[in-house]
Amino acid sequence: MAYKVSKVRLAKYTLLAFWFTLRNLFRKPVTVQYPMVKRPIPDRWRGGTFALTTDKETGEENCIGCKLCEKICPSGVIDVEMEKHDGRGWAKSFVLDLQGCLQCELCVQVCPTDAIVMLQGMETPVTRREDFILDKNKLMMNENIFRAAWATGLKLQDLHEPKK
Amino acid sequence: MISAETVAHGIMLLGAILGVVTYLTWVERKFAGRLQSRVGPYLVGRPHGWLQPIADALKLFIKEDITPSKSDGFLFNLAPVWVVIASLIGFAFLPLTASWVLVNIDLGLLYFSATGSLIVIGIFMAGWASNNKYALLSALRSAAQVVAYEIPLLLSLLVPAVLASSLNFLDIARAQEGYWFILFPVVGQVSFLTFLLAALAEGNRIPFDLSEAESELVAGFSVEYSGMKFAYFYLAEYVHLLAISLLVSILFFGGPLGPFFPGGVWIAIKTIMVFLGVLWIRWSFLRVRIDQLMMLNWKVLTPLTLANLLLAGLWVSLKM
Amino acid sequence: MEERVIEREFGELALNMGPQHPSTHGVFRMELHLRGETVVRVIPHIGYLHRGVEKLSETLDYDMLPPIYERDDYLSPTANSFAFVLAVEKLAGIEVPKRASYLRVMVAELQRVASHLVWLGTFGLDLGGALGGGSTLFLYCFRERERILDLMEALTGTRFHTNMNQVGGVRYDVYSGFDQDISQTVSYLKERIGEYKVMLENNPVFLERTKGVGVVSKELAKEVGASGPVLRGSGVVYDIRKNKPYSDYSDFEFRIPVGNDGDAYDRYRVRIEEMFESLSIINQAAGGLPEGPIHSRKPVKSPLLLKPPKGEAYAQVESPRGELGIFIVSDGSSKPYRVKVRSPSFSNIALIPYILPGHLVADAVAILGSLDPVFGDVDR
Repeated sequence: MAYKVSKVRLAKYTLLAFWFTLRNLFRKPVTVQYPMVKRPIPDRWRGGTFALTTDKETGEENCIGCKLCEKICPSGVIDVEMEKHDGRGWAKSFVLDLQGCLQCELCVQVCPTDAIVMLQGMETPVTRREDFILDKNKLMMNENIFRAAWATGLKLQDLHEPKK
Repeated sequence: MISAETVAHGIMLLGAILGVVTYLTWVERKFAGRLQSRVGPYLVGRPHGWLQPIADALKLFIKEDITPSKSDGFLFNLAPVWVVIASLIGFAFLPLTASWVLVNIDLGLLYFSATGSLIVIGIFMAGWASNNKYALLSALRSAAQVVAYEIPLLLSLLVPAVLASSLNFLDIARAQEGYWFILFPVVGQVSFLTFLLAALAEGNRIPFDLSEAESELVAGFSVEYSGMKFAYFYLAEYVHLLAISLLVSILFFGGPLGPFFPGGVWIAIKTIMVFLGVLWIRWSFLRVRIDQLMMLNWKVLTPLTLANLLLAGLWVSLKM
Repeated sequence: MEERVIEREFGELALNMGPQHPSTHGVFRMELHLRGETVVRVIPHIGYLHRGVEKLSETLDYDMLPPIYERDDYLSPTANSFAFVLAVEKLAGIEVPKRASYLRVMVAELQRVASHLVWLGTFGLDLGGALGGGSTLFLYCFRERERILDLMEALTGTRFHTNMNQVGGVRYDVYSGFDQDISQTVSYLKERIGEYKVMLENNPVFLERTKGVGVVSKELAKEVGASGPVLRGSGVVYDIRKNKPYSDYSDFEFRIPVGNDGDAYDRYRVRIEEMFESLSIINQAAGGLPEGPIHSRKPVKSPLLLKPPKGEAYAQVESPRGELGIFIVSDGSSKPYRVKVRSPSFSNIALIPYILPGHLVADAVAILGSLDPVFGDVDR
């Protein structure tokens, strides 16, 4: 234990430790009493769940069933089946298993029609495991329950390669 | 002889101590929360969480009582009871107002320190009877620590006794009429500081709480206890701490003396101040190692307290 | 399964600081052989957190892999994906625009400060106890770390595993108002970390617990392959950001703190000084962001389109724990043939059987804390 710090300095720093904790006694506590008070959420925050969007003008579904999101998902939680009629593709069924999702937003990034978005939902716990496997109806209804995050496919692709 | 009045007063005192100690845990959690820039208990009994100790006590009552099959049954069950009783006995000798003591003995100080040192036997019983290597390590550490720190504790307790020429608590409190013992020029402050360090080591408080070191030996000697038996150890620690705070306020800070308020109120205020000071030390410091603890005791505190006692004796004999 | 009995000498106590313990930073089992309170022998056991990342990456495409690698060393996620995308870019010959390099550096340095704050908080918990002075330091450090995480949340969308690095650039660009946020956060952190430095540096209890504890000599550190603050604390001047600069680190001005004795106190000093240097790098990067695109490939449509040529590449990065390297062997298809991760914590904890004997049990926790292992990194 041969370190050379003078005894006066040691005593001063012992008292300094008291002063630091005492100073925190008079600062405002940083606790946010959730759920009575909620923190402000930034724009880009992507939360726990997903939605399939519909076009605002025509009311049609945006998803064309191209399966790009299914191919890029690292965990393989998306399952899409496509059918073609009326001149464009549609998603016959779209199953997303939320239990394996990494929240990496790669599926949102590759979507060519802004169909899948992540939502800013905080109160998303459920009581049965089966409720985590979202089918197409639930995904389409989710859009009305929660607010969507800022990032959609076309916006992210625009960040990469700004269109002049 | 023990009169019926003393027994009745004793039972009331017991109830009062247990009630106060339960709410001292609430004070500690709130104070610790504010020191760490967060709120303490909040939800149970909004807005200040004052029902939290009752909820905790209820939870500990209804928990399952697990006894390891290879533990020594008799000692395992005796240890918490021993620790609680040993820490509660000391309160019989401490005055609570300017003139009321439950048992007024002329050798009050000696009896108090004698009963206070019985606690370590219970801790060692708990560590041994648990049949667990972690508990054994912690019990050995605790036994060495407490036995070693008895010496500076007693030597610094003797200084107020020497300055007041008596071992009776009421006489010591009354002898501080002029000014408090802590204000005595070198002798008072040194004995206060050494007594504080020794009392922290006796009571297993940070910075000397090696026997309950959560980061090395998970919960130390009480690692195999659950439910109400664990609560007994917890309770005993706080009761002992309250007794130490009361002792400090009587011996060094004048006890019931002070303007305006009656003696009992002043004792309460000073005890709470000392208690908050001990809490403040707990939440600001890290823990020392066992060999540094022993070195501090034998090489620093024992010679210092011996010299201090000699100095106090010299002072008193020169003034006579 | 055979039953394994711990063999010990006569007179020793064989204590299992087992997989569940509040102070072994993760799942790690140390068999301590004690005589009294002195440690005589240590046998570490690892492998409780093995998830098979290297085998898993043989079945996924290159574009899908950065989020998986972020979960490797889970306390500084972007360092892992940084190493991975650098290796793929080396393999495929992709150039990264300068703005993307600066953003990568900024996010990496922010995560370095966050990781060192976690280290400081848990070091306090190890030394001081979960109910006591250690938890005060722990809560203070995590309070400051929340500011960094809020900044990452506003920039990328999640607080921690941000998936910011992609092969060819970064994913998110700055938003308007980012400059004020960064300068506010950096000045707040500088003030607070300065407070903790003053609080701990000359504290007698802290000095007694860390001075002379766990001394690692220069030769031992170089022989075992330690890196990062462990190596620099022993006196070897080696930092990958200066010796083998990557991703435009040579544009920034910063110093490398180096210790003298190699004990736990020197490693603490190195990490605290590194935090200040990281804050200055963040200021330089945010102040001088060049204009330009943030990605050099077309937006990713199908991950099968990235087919690097046959060959192998190794890229190394200075993560908060040391040298993190990723070695990729490619056979021309869109999935890697073999990925090997050189993890810094694995080499660092190889020091334990050499430096721990002779100390007390209380020092075992302090030494393990000062080496700063993360078991997601050790076991992968």
